[in-house]
Amino acid sequence: MGRSKLIRGRADRAAGFTIGYAIRRAAGYALGRATICAMGCAVGVAALLSLPAASAFADETCNSPYISKLIKGQEGYVHVWTLGVEGLGDGSDKLVTVDVDPHSKSYGKVVGSVSVGGRGEAHHMGFTDDRRYLWAGNLDDSKIYVFDVGTHPGKPALIKTITDFAPGSGLVGPHTFYALPGRMLIGALSNTRDNGGVTGIALYNNKGALIRKYDIPRSKLGGVVGDGYGYDLAVNPAKNVLLSSSFTGRDNYMRDLGEVVKDPQAMKRFGNTMVVWNLKSFQPTQVLNVPGAPLEIRWNLVPGQNWAVTATALTSKIWLVRQDAAGTWSAKDVATIGDPAKIPLPVDISISADGKGLWVNTFMDGTTHYFDLSDPEHPKQTYEKKTGSQVNMVSQSWDGKRVYITSSLLAHWDKKGADNEQYLRAFNWDGHELAPAFQIDFLAAKLGRPHHMKFTAGT
Amino acid sequence: MTKFLACLLALLGAGGAARAAVDPGAAVIPRMEYEPLAPGSYRLERIQGTPDARLLDTRGRTVHLRDFVRGKITLLTFFYTYCVDPLGCPYSHAVLRQLREALERDPALMRRTRFVSVSFDPGNDTPAAIARYAKLWRGDARFEWRFLTAPGVPQLLPLLDDMGQDVSVDKDAQGRPTRTLHHMLKMFLIDETGTVREIYTLAFLQPTVMLNDIRTLALESAAAAGVAAARPRM
Repeated sequence: MGRSKLIRGRADRAAGFTIGYAIRRAAGYALGRATICAMGCAVGVAALLSLPAASAFADETCNSPYISKLIKGQEGYVHVWTLGVEGLGDGSDKLVTVDVDPHSKSYGKVVGSVSVGGRGEAHHMGFTDDRRYLWAGNLDDSKIYVFDVGTHPGKPALIKTITDFAPGSGLVGPHTFYALPGRMLIGALSNTRDNGGVTGIALYNNKGALIRKYDIPRSKLGGVVGDGYGYDLAVNPAKNVLLSSSFTGRDNYMRDLGEVVKDPQAMKRFGNTMVVWNLKSFQPTQVLNVPGAPLEIRWNLVPGQNWAVTATALTSKIWLVRQDAAGTWSAKDVATIGDPAKIPLPVDISISADGKGLWVNTFMDGTTHYFDLSDPEHPKQTYEKKTGSQVNMVSQSWDGKRVYITSSLLAHWDKKGADNEQYLRAFNWDGHELAPAFQIDFLAAKLGRPHHMKFTAGT
Repeated sequence: MTKFLACLLALLGAGGAARAAVDPGAAVIPRMEYEPLAPGSYRLERIQGTPDARLLDTRGRTVHLRDFVRGKITLLTFFYTYCVDPLGCPYSHAVLRQLREALERDPALMRRTRFVSVSFDPGNDTPAAIARYAKLWRGDARFEWRFLTAPGVPQLLPLLDDMGQDVSVDKDAQGRPTRTLHHMLKMFLIDETGTVREIYTLAFLQPTVMLNDIRTLALESAAAAGVAAARPRM
């Protein structure tokens, strides 16, 4: 099914391209002159518009820095990778597309929903380098779904399912999808041997073929012994550095959170390290001690900055990863998030495009925090708002004026009963207050548990 | 750095503003703040194969891409002759020219390396047009730098699709198509067997690293040949 859609797309595109160029020449473009033929131009414009448009207008700050079309402005759609809930709607994991253009008649409404025909703990997504495709992973069954979001961003199409991630790589729980040119890096959470937290990174080409697996180190590097755990990935190309962080294995993340926290042995099975990799050779060069499950990694890539931050889920801290004059990287605890004694559980973070601000969501108390990162050695919380009974992912627009949050962490870790709100909420941010823009109740709409978000442009 | 590239980079300040009007993206001059690894000290992964395509050379003769991506270490890129994005085709070709000059100082490596530039726009970029463009860049006649175009878009698109090379027509603020083709700047490093071993986008377009990658493939090939030569004959 997916293949035939691909072929049809190519044929349409070929026809449009040919006509487009023929008409464009007739209109004098090729000669570089403004020789306008009204009729020719009218037809030409129509034909040219049949090409995939490059009119992207927005992005969040959490994508690979070399993804095509990172453009500032108003995003058109938010795609939400949503966990299916048994007995709710079709019960399937799905990619839900929401129109977020305030000028659109369907603003704040669901305009697309692509079910994948099963439930496998939908979790994170990542664009390919050209931003035409979105890879979305499942933490339970380790399936990876590839959606075409380039042809019709408002109506994504499932074009490929990778079902052999686990047997092919020996890894379980494809979590982070991070584009390299022509390739996709996939950070996993677990392994096929024992479902524990020792894991690795898989490198795929954009056609969906596994190239190689790299193990997260367990040896001593830079004076710190690695624990082999994995979670997020983030690259700084100017430094030729990849950072990885660490969480926990399938034996914990597929278990009820209440049981996990009461099990001292299970609580020992969380990552306490980050790893610095040489991106070119893909060799780990340093292990950094970052206790308490360092999760999302965000680089400040502004020239002269080159530092990254992460938040630790269990210890509720912001950590700064920075290189010294000698070229050695170190990690430093620079701020506290909420009251660590209450285990607020920081989950997602979102850095502003200028690197001077950081949104942090804490799941347990349903609070969205804003930290001033102007001095990354001393982040200061300047704002907080209770945004739900539980809150997980946070994504901001490139200009920082809009903030989107979702509610679900993991199917077995979400709250129960009335606290199990499941929503996408959009806010406008004026630098002082998060003002509600719209919200969608994913339970009332029979969609499921909304998790990761990615933006595409309008058409 | 060559005088030409220095001049091009000097122009980028003004060019950045012009680019913003077309594509206010995150494109910036790539920074390199690390010491590149020594050739042969790392592995370049086998990313994908290279498809064949029926193309035209600068004389209008039909050629097959397969003949230009095997037997030598190849850098393949896509361009269009009227591209004015200072961080687009002119930049990639300036980097290639800088690389070519480095290769000319190592004749043995130069003989093992080629560049292939394929036009995005068969309509405008006729064999005569790419022949004129080639004169701007080719330099030393001993170095193999092929400039190719397609007979038509239908022959080109399967190649672009297979290589994962996007291209689209930019629109202006009113949604009208402009004379700019939006494409992600990509350069493909292909080994002597036709396998893509590295892909450089703008952030990774570093001539020093690229030269080391070419040397790494040459060393790998020499090592493989040495092993084959040392193998006892049956």
